[in-house]
Amino acid sequence: MTDADELALARCEACHARFLPTDGPCPRCGSREVRTYLSPPLGVVLAATEVTTPAEGWKPPHRLALIEMPQSVRLLAIVDGPVPAPGDVVAVRRDGEVYRARTEPGLAGGRGEGESPGPGDARPAPFEPPR
Amino acid sequence: MSVHVASLGMGRYGKRPEGLIDLATEAANLALEGVGRRPIDLLVVGSMMALGKHGPEALLPRLASRLGLESAQGLRLDSASGTGGMTFHAAALALESGRYQRALVVAAEKMTDRTTAVVTRALAASLDASEAAAGGTMPALASLVTQRYLQRYRLPDTICDEATVHARANAVANPTAHFQKAVTAAEVAASRPVALPLRLLHCSAISDGATALILERGTGPATVLGLGQALDSIRIVDRDDLTTFAASRLAAQRAYEDAHLAPSDIQVAEVHDAFSPFLFVHMEDLGLCEPGTGPRALAAGEIRRDGRLPVNPSGGVIGRGHPVAASGLAEIAEVALQLRGEAGARAIARTPTIGLAHAMSGIAAHNFVTILGRAAP
Repeated sequence: MTDADELALARCEACHARFLPTDGPCPRCGSREVRTYLSPPLGVVLAATEVTTPAEGWKPPHRLALIEMPQSVRLLAIVDGPVPAPGDVVAVRRDGEVYRARTEPGLAGGRGEGESPGPGDARPAPFEPPR
Repeated sequence: MSVHVASLGMGRYGKRPEGLIDLATEAANLALEGVGRRPIDLLVVGSMMALGKHGPEALLPRLASRLGLESAQGLRLDSASGTGGMTFHAAALALESGRYQRALVVAAEKMTDRTTAVVTRALAASLDASEAAAGGTMPALASLVTQRYLQRYRLPDTICDEATVHARANAVANPTAHFQKAVTAAEVAASRPVALPLRLLHCSAISDGATALILERGTGPATVLGLGQALDSIRIVDRDDLTTFAASRLAAQRAYEDAHLAPSDIQVAEVHDAFSPFLFVHMEDLGLCEPGTGPRALAAGEIRRDGRLPVNPSGGVIGRGHPVAASGLAEIAEVALQLRGEAGARAIARTPTIGLAHAMSGIAAHNFVTILGRAAP
């Protein structure tokens, strides 16, 4: 994996919260001492859905996932490919102003074809940073 | 200084041919007639989109002119789908300040003259820009919340169907509700997917409608006992726990403290079920039942009109329809109607003396809790 694959996340120097980069202060404590850092780009799906009635300007099917990155940073990503299940490991990349996620077959927590629980009927696996 | 709901007015919610100003005028006139057209010195108006035929309306001065209220003072407010709750709070606080005698509060929305895609995009304006930029919509984010709730408490998707059945059954007795027909759980489960596990009948409808209330100094069966509101991060990714809404919990805590009351004192509640499973999340956040037990309370019949604690006797947002800004005020109006013993066919089994209304902006970014009841002597 090259550095280019890593994902920029943010850390608050005051309260040590980790979150997505924004222009503003820390969403938890309001401190402006916010630094960005690079994180491995793999995350675990907490929940995902297919939006069959998207907003104007989007074409169905539009798939979205709530993803937990290392150190409990969460992001909302557009899913390329089928809807992942909770607990699946996905690779995340930044694409302009949005994040995109893709299921990584064969990674711990991922699922094989044909054994997919539907969204909402599985508890997410506790996050373990990929090694 | 005490303030109470002296009168209320609601036109039919649903697909209406009239425009925004006509809908607001209809509700306002019903409320004004209820107080014999006594003078109004404050007009508080709320609308999220304020859409007229040619674009956004200058709603407040146009409505004031239609109603002959040019001698009043006015405020126009917006906090997306929480607007109705906010208009009421603003009017109550203004009257409590001693500056005004009697306020007309009107919340209205016109939505059905746009396509679903256009309305969906407009409503996504109540989400964080980064989440809307990813194509996030209200139903999409509500789906993620619903999944986290179902996962955490190991509940089946079918509880969402049962929540819709409850809402639609109650709406049948509400002549102003958008939906006048009950549905079965099987019909809900067979409706088309919107953002699974949410299907069409789990999502509030795009509706036109307006609600108006008269608030005046003094006391009565629907006196303002407690007000509470709270904000939360608009980005859902910044929330540690999506199975509960911090803005509801904090708004409720503030309202209970303001009223010197506890959740166990509440005898009727209206909660903002923009998506049917939110019924459970809200009941739990408001302290009306323990976390994860909302579905059990519904299944046990506890929240029906004849139950221990009736919730959403009006049909809620799911049954009543969702002209976004108006819903929060309709919730307060329903509690006032029940307290005043004027709820007709949908009156709960025992006329309540204390009730609570809850309104939510977006995905719980700005929530309002209003407690009404008979003031202590």
